[in-house]
Amino acid sequence: MTRIELPEALRQLTGGAPEITVEATNVAEALEQLGRLHPEACVRILTRGGRVRPHVNLFVREHDIRSLDGLDTTLEDGDSLLVVPSVAGG
Amino acid sequence: MVLDKRLAELRDRIQQLNPAEAQQRLTAGELLIDVRDPGELVGGTPEGAEALSRGELEMRIGDLAAPHAPVMLICASGPRSLLAADDLLRLGYRRVAVVAGGVDRWQREGLPCVRPEHIDADSAERYARQMNLPEFGIEGQARLADARVLLVGAGGLGSPAALYLAAAGIGTLGLVDDDRVERSNLHRQVLHRDDRIGWPKTDSARATLEGLNPKIEVRTHQARLDARNVEDIFSGYRIIVDGSDNFATRYLVNDACIKLGLPNVYGAVQRFEGQVSVFAGHGRPCYRCLFSEPPEPDMAPSCNEAGVLGVVPGVIGLLQALEVIKLASGVGEPLIGRLLLFDARTTRLRELALGPDKGCRYCAAGGEFPGYGDYGEFCNASGGRDLESHD
Repeated sequence: MTRIELPEALRQLTGGAPEITVEATNVAEALEQLGRLHPEACVRILTRGGRVRPHVNLFVREHDIRSLDGLDTTLEDGDSLLVVPSVAGG
Repeated sequence: MVLDKRLAELRDRIQQLNPAEAQQRLTAGELLIDVRDPGELVGGTPEGAEALSRGELEMRIGDLAAPHAPVMLICASGPRSLLAADDLLRLGYRRVAVVAGGVDRWQREGLPCVRPEHIDADSAERYARQMNLPEFGIEGQARLADARVLLVGAGGLGSPAALYLAAAGIGTLGLVDDDRVERSNLHRQVLHRDDRIGWPKTDSARATLEGLNPKIEVRTHQARLDARNVEDIFSGYRIIVDGSDNFATRYLVNDACIKLGLPNVYGAVQRFEGQVSVFAGHGRPCYRCLFSEPPEPDMAPSCNEAGVLGVVPGVIGLLQALEVIKLASGVGEPLIGRLLLFDARTTRLRELALGPDKGCRYCAAGGEFPGYGDYGEFCNASGGRDLESHD
C-alpha cells in the first residue's frame, strides 16, 4: 500500500482528502491509479503526454524521484509518494 | 554563605597571582584563559588571553592545553575563575592558577587589554543574549554587523524576516517593494500598522525597523523589481531573501542571484502550507532546478484566490531570517540542498533532499547565463495577479 500525499491545492480535487491510498509497485502505477480515482487531480501532476509537470516535484522516501528512477522509482509497501507543487505566495 | 565558604576553601588551595605576575607569565608563553561569557568581553579582555567561557571550559580545554601544562584563569573579579579552576583540577589539570581581582583589577592596574572591533557599549547590551552563545559570540555578532541583506518584498514573509533580522543586528538591511499598505495586509504583514494604511510599504517598514533598532542601516527601494533594475539593486547586497508573492519575481530573483553569485533565501506560502530553502549556487540546486517553469494559468490558483493563514508566512519568514543569520554568521548548517515543508494543519515540518538539475539552463556548470527572460509573461500564469507587487 502506498499513500499519495497531496498538497492543499489538490485536495479540493479529491473531495478534501489529504492523501489517497493505492496499490502500486512504482510511481507511474501509483499515479495511474490516482488518475482513475481522481482524474482532475492527476492532470495537475502529469501532462497529457504522461510527464511530470515542470512546476511539480514528486518525492519518495524524502528524495526527488528525478534523483531516483523517475516515474519508474520503486515503491515499497508503506512508502508514501509526496506531491510538491510550486507556490508563489508571500 | 555557602558560596563564601566554598570560595574561602578554594582560595586556600588554588594558587592566586596578582595581575602583574600573570601578565609576566603570559608574556613568557603561559596560557591565560578569560572564562567570562562572550558578551562580557566587549569591555576588553587581557591582551594575549584566550576566550573560553566557563560553560565551555571543560569541553574545549583539551584543544588549548595538556593536563601537565600551566593554565591561568581570569574572570570579571575573581570568584568564577576559582570555581573554574576547581573544575580543571577535577579534570586532571595540575598546574592551575587564577588572577586575583580578575579583569577589573587587571584594568585598574593599567595592564594591556584588547577590545573586540565593531562592538560598542550599546551593542554590547543590545546583543548580549545572543553574543553569550559560545558558538556565536562577538565574532558572530561582528559578522552580522558586516552583513548586507536585501528583502524582496516587505509583505507577509518580509515582515517577520525584517523584524528579526533588524533586531539581530544585520548591519545593512534593504527592502524592495513598490506597494502601499492596505488593511487586508495587516493580518500577516506585521511590519505595518493600521494608522499607516496608504503609506508606501518601504516607508512603513523603515519607521518600524528604525524604531526597533536604530543601530542598523535600513535602505529602501520603492521600485518594481524588473530585469532592468534588478542587478543595480542587488549589487549592494550579499544575501537576497525572496519574500515575493508571484512567480515572475521569483524567477527573476533566482536568475539575478545566479548571475551575481548571491545566495537566495527562498520562502513561499499558500493557504496552510509553506516552503523554505536556500539556493546558494556553486553546484548546489537553484529555484529552477526545483521548479523549472511556473505553472500554467489553469494549474495554480492566484495568491488572492488561494488565501493564507496569517501565521503561516510568519513561520516561514522567520525560518528565512534564521537561514540568513546562519549564512551571515557562519554558524550552523544552512538549508542548502534541502527543502523544508511546513504544514500548519498538522504542525508538521518535513525535510526533503534536493539535487541540482544537471540540465538547468541557468545554473548548470559550464553554461553561459542565458539572459533574463520575459517575466511579464508569467503574469497570466498566476491568475492575472499584479505580478510586480510584493505583498
